[in-house]
Amino acid sequence: MKPHRRKKLGIIIFIAAGLSVAVGFTAFALKQNINMFYTPTQVAEGEVGSGQHFRIGGMVKTGTVLGATDSLKVNFVTTDFISDVPIQYEGILPDLFREGQGIVAEGEMDANGVFQASRVLAKHDENFMSPEVKAALDASGASAENHSPVATN
Amino acid sequence: MWLWFSKLGSPKWFYELSGKWLPWLIAAMVVFMTVGLVWGLLFLPPDYQQGFTSRILIVHVAVAGTSLAFFPLLLVSGTITLVWRMKLADMVAKNAAILGAWFSFITLATGSLWGSVMWGTWWEWTDSRLVSMLFQLFLLLGVISLRSALEDSETAAKACALLSIVGCINVVIIKYSVEWWNTLHQVSSPVSMDTQSPNGPEFWIATLIMIVAVYLFLSVSLILSTRNEILERERKSQWVQDLVSKS
Repeated sequence: MKPHRRKKLGIIIFIAAGLSVAVGFTAFALKQNINMFYTPTQVAEGEVGSGQHFRIGGMVKTGTVLGATDSLKVNFVTTDFISDVPIQYEGILPDLFREGQGIVAEGEMDANGVFQASRVLAKHDENFMSPEVKAALDASGASAENHSPVATN
Repeated sequence: MWLWFSKLGSPKWFYELSGKWLPWLIAAMVVFMTVGLVWGLLFLPPDYQQGFTSRILIVHVAVAGTSLAFFPLLLVSGTITLVWRMKLADMVAKNAAILGAWFSFITLATGSLWGSVMWGTWWEWTDSRLVSMLFQLFLLLGVISLRSALEDSETAAKACALLSIVGCINVVIIKYSVEWWNTLHQVSSPVSMDTQSPNGPEFWIATLIMIVAVYLFLSVSLILSTRNEILERERKSQWVQDLVSKS
């Protein structure tokens, strides 16, 4: 390789390496800001200030969904299997919303420690299964919820 | 090795060689695309929760995965342009940026369609996977407009090459966004050999065929557009004149 080309290649590699390091540090510094949601454990540990508008992500705890009969109000508990946060929401839930499903809710904590959600989104995990496989897994007692860990960190 | 390298950079040589490859690539693309689309969109088993909506992901995953190949491609061609000043590298880069923008757009569009049904939202500004993918689209649109903004083609080639090299870092962010941060977007599905477990062969074989099909589509489109670019830029050269007078 000719010297002037070697020099140019060196400059390009230097720029690329410098940029990678800079972006890496920035991403690390912004770690919490880039996260889409807090986990129930983070909320329980008081990482969110009071009166703050934020998002919370976790699983819908089995057996906790209570829908009102005369309105769209619904109460449920979201969990990361360490801490629980009760959520109240009024509105239309996504089709995928069900017990054991990952969700992301947006809103704020009220004085009673209930998360008043203005929006609820369903989170789908990385597992795809045909109904037959799901039925076979259920029959053998190993349902998807049990062997897929919580999708949040 | 260096002789072979400089030969590869010759537009004439590339034009002749790619002419021989094209029919085979096109044939392979048609076969894979047909099998992938028919299987993926008509015969793929439904997901137990998503129903048939999961079929959108056959296209989404294949196009999204392929769209991440554009910046590495631009990195290689950009480096060659800056260091060795090969004309061919810039011709490839010019068309790769345009194709990459389309791939990014289709990724976002198919993802939005699926998200609107499954998540209950078309778009979330707070999801780092979604936003970094949008950023890739904007970066590529930036590269395209940078080229058209600069009149001198050699300056334009250098500027685009530099922007592409710098923009490459975004691919790493897109790839790991779902692992580094909490996102609505799910992480990549691990494949399983077992037909009785999630993500079994019934799902991923069709996806794999579609990924090969989309890569072939990318190669064919890129070769065809680069050949056009060669003819246009080399129109004054003897071999192009000969080619035109023969046909």
